[in-house]
Amino acid sequence: MIKELIFYSFSSVLICSSLAVVLFRNPVYSAVSLILSFITSGFLWLLLEAEFLAIVLILVYVGAVMVLFLFVIMMLNINKETEKSSFNSVAPFAVFIGLIIVAELITIIWINSSQFSTSSTVIQQSSQMGNTLLLGTELFTNYILDFEIAGFILLLAIIVAISLTLRPRKNLKTQVASEQINVDPKKRMKLVDLKETK
Amino acid sequence: MLTLQSYLTLGAIIFSIGVIGIVINRKNIIIIMMCTELLLIAVNFNFIAFSYFNQDLAGQIFVFFILTVAAAEVAIGLAILVALYRNKKTIDVQELKSLRN
Repeated sequence: MIKELIFYSFSSVLICSSLAVVLFRNPVYSAVSLILSFITSGFLWLLLEAEFLAIVLILVYVGAVMVLFLFVIMMLNINKETEKSSFNSVAPFAVFIGLIIVAELITIIWINSSQFSTSSTVIQQSSQMGNTLLLGTELFTNYILDFEIAGFILLLAIIVAISLTLRPRKNLKTQVASEQINVDPKKRMKLVDLKETK
Repeated sequence: MLTLQSYLTLGAIIFSIGVIGIVINRKNIIIIMMCTELLLIAVNFNFIAFSYFNQDLAGQIFVFFILTVAAAEVAIGLAILVALYRNKKTIDVQELKSLRN
């Protein structure tokens, strides 16, 4: 009973904060609402016994990604653009399409409910093996190649982000390695035969 | 009684909020990127719900990789945004029409 109460109250908070992300005109308000919806989804994931992923969601998303968003909003200084209406003329049609999408999804989910296993068949995980231990064991044995690919994707993201935003300074004295390698020693020094003078 | 359908319905609602947000927003690419994050959260909800109700850890592994890719995507997207603002002095969706014609 208490789980149902927590689920319904937290999911209504999640839906309201997601709507706030969409509807606020000031991007700072949207970012703060998105932080609220991330934290609420983390709590809902705790309800589903995904403890490690809930902590990772809060640490990585609220701690890193949303701080990055807020930094970019701060640096770009776009708060003055809020005087015009931020919604375009297709907004009613888009809301209509979105309602059709959610109606179709909910219909399919509840019509096909006999195909899904119900919560009565859920077997509790063994309590001495925590979720983090299980996930780590699985991740470092069966999914080790995918794990390394994920690490490579993160490396790629670092390189791309730095190379996109790095602006080389003018009149900076640096070495040009290719010119240094291609130096011909014969052009640099000229040997002259000098007569020996007595 | 909390069933799988409750979680799937919540995921569907969040997903359609994200879709609507992408379509109706016409200022600000930053809010469009936030709506992309909402879509990813909705999909992750489905994965974790199926993982719990089927007692299969593969769903949580998949969510882990989705989080990784989403973090990389946000970093690259914001870097593109900064480079764009440096060149064009705007991030208004309506103003960015240099590829048109």
